[in-house]
Amino acid sequence: MRYFLSYLVLLTFFTSCAQQVKLDDIPIQEEVRNYSIKTFVSGISIPWGMAWLPDGSMLITEKSSDLIHFINGEKLNITTTFHDLYIRGQGGLLDIEVHPNYLENGWIYISYASNEGEGDGGNTKLIRAKLEGNTLTQVETLYKATPNTTSGIHFGSRIVFDKDGYVYLTIGDRGNNEENPQDIHRDGGKVYRLHEDGSIPKDNPFISVAGAKTALFSYGHRNLQGMTIHPSTGKIWTHEHGPKGGDEINILKKGANYGWPEITYGLNYDGTVITEETERKGMENPIYYWLPSIAPSGMAFVTGDKFPDWKGDLLVGSLKFQYLELVKLDGNKVIARQKIATDIGRVRNVKIGPDGYIYIAVEGKGIERITPN
Amino acid sequence: MVIFILPWKEKELKELLLINMKNHIHLLSFTLFFFVSCTSLEKKKVAENSTKNSIVISDNHSKEKTELQKSIMRGKNVYSGFCMQCHLPDGKGVPGNFPPLAGSDWLTDKRSESIYAVKFGQTGEIIVNGVKYNNVMAPMGLNDEEVADVMNYIMNSWGNTQDQMVTVDEVKDVKK
Repeated sequence: MRYFLSYLVLLTFFTSCAQQVKLDDIPIQEEVRNYSIKTFVSGISIPWGMAWLPDGSMLITEKSSDLIHFINGEKLNITTTFHDLYIRGQGGLLDIEVHPNYLENGWIYISYASNEGEGDGGNTKLIRAKLEGNTLTQVETLYKATPNTTSGIHFGSRIVFDKDGYVYLTIGDRGNNEENPQDIHRDGGKVYRLHEDGSIPKDNPFISVAGAKTALFSYGHRNLQGMTIHPSTGKIWTHEHGPKGGDEINILKKGANYGWPEITYGLNYDGTVITEETERKGMENPIYYWLPSIAPSGMAFVTGDKFPDWKGDLLVGSLKFQYLELVKLDGNKVIARQKIATDIGRVRNVKIGPDGYIYIAVEGKGIERITPN
Repeated sequence: MVIFILPWKEKELKELLLINMKNHIHLLSFTLFFFVSCTSLEKKKVAENSTKNSIVISDNHSKEKTELQKSIMRGKNVYSGFCMQCHLPDGKGVPGNFPPLAGSDWLTDKRSESIYAVKFGQTGEIIVNGVKYNNVMAPMGLNDEEVADVMNYIMNSWGNTQDQMVTVDEVKDVKK
């Protein structure tokens, strides 16, 4: 028996290569549809960002350049002057957010892949602008990552305002994981924190490090396409596309290193090992990681009173499995997962509207709205 | 399988391995065989493909790399940067989400539509190997040479074969 057991150990030891197993994982539950899902805005190819103006109308970015104003049931195209828009691979027109004090200042924030500056290719840029009639005016560049690169992957990006008036932006590692994510002197694989006018907060973590990118808030990320603020703690929550089997949920701490690519639960797409390490001192571990990867995009906490059973839980879009995932939480701990909108299509974004309903951006469709029965 | 490791700590496991290595060399070699066959699976696939590619090349009786071979090599880089995330390294795609490229009848039957899709993106329902797909592939922003290169890579990988290489001129002629 002893030999048999040790043989099993041996066998396991040598055959577990590139086999990913997650012990005590929380399996996803099938959908129980006691709500309805209806098309809210149709005919948008790749809806990426969505935000609401105080009048309840909606702004939607479409990846290949359209900025759509959905007002009174009509889709209006807003004229923009993004001459430097860089459509390549995952890059294009990305996120949009409306300033929390929009009524007073009228600022709209937009991120996109831009070929501005030296060198072939592009990198992620954050601008703010104002809407006058159907035209975007007074465009100001708040941040432009460097260097430009013809890589078509990992631009990020999401924009979030916190309760203290800071604006946060995510930029992916641009496919250069060897140089970017761990180097605070380089852009990419980072979360950025700026004042609303683009100036750098004096208490940013790397403000006094010579040559560092002082806009950085956290680093060691891969490609973050989901970021939101926790409704009660005010903390910034993000998720990121990891490699195969390494998508993560993180809660951001100022100046923290989230480990990519030094530590990860994921493998390369071809199944080869990136690193054996899943944790290291001085690097943050995710509060949850997905195995298999769901390809997360968009992230929102359920707020308001329309979905009392889900209040305080997290919604995450899955591009890969084509559903919305409800991540049930107990504090910072994931306790259950459930499918919503099964087979709806590739979910690119999710937000709670001002009316408390859930809005999801679905590729090839547009915006779908979930309302309780 | 990994759960069997749990009851042992690393040190205990090492001791166990050492004791048993002496007594059970035949078991060890058996497990090693498993290990080797597991890790080399991907490599084997790659090797198979390169054999296929080299057949194409040897047909040309040239020591120099042929235009096709150079194009395939460039196309491989384009593939890993723009296509692999969805269609996967083995070109099999994801059932119901991203159609396969390996063994795809759409690719062989609809050559110009395939070039169009890579050049301008693909929207709407298509049927690949009898399975319906209805998703959006965004325009990738590739230039004509990159489109030709990645088409040549796809059409000569994973068992796919091509009668005629895709040229930049052919890509140029595919218009929106």
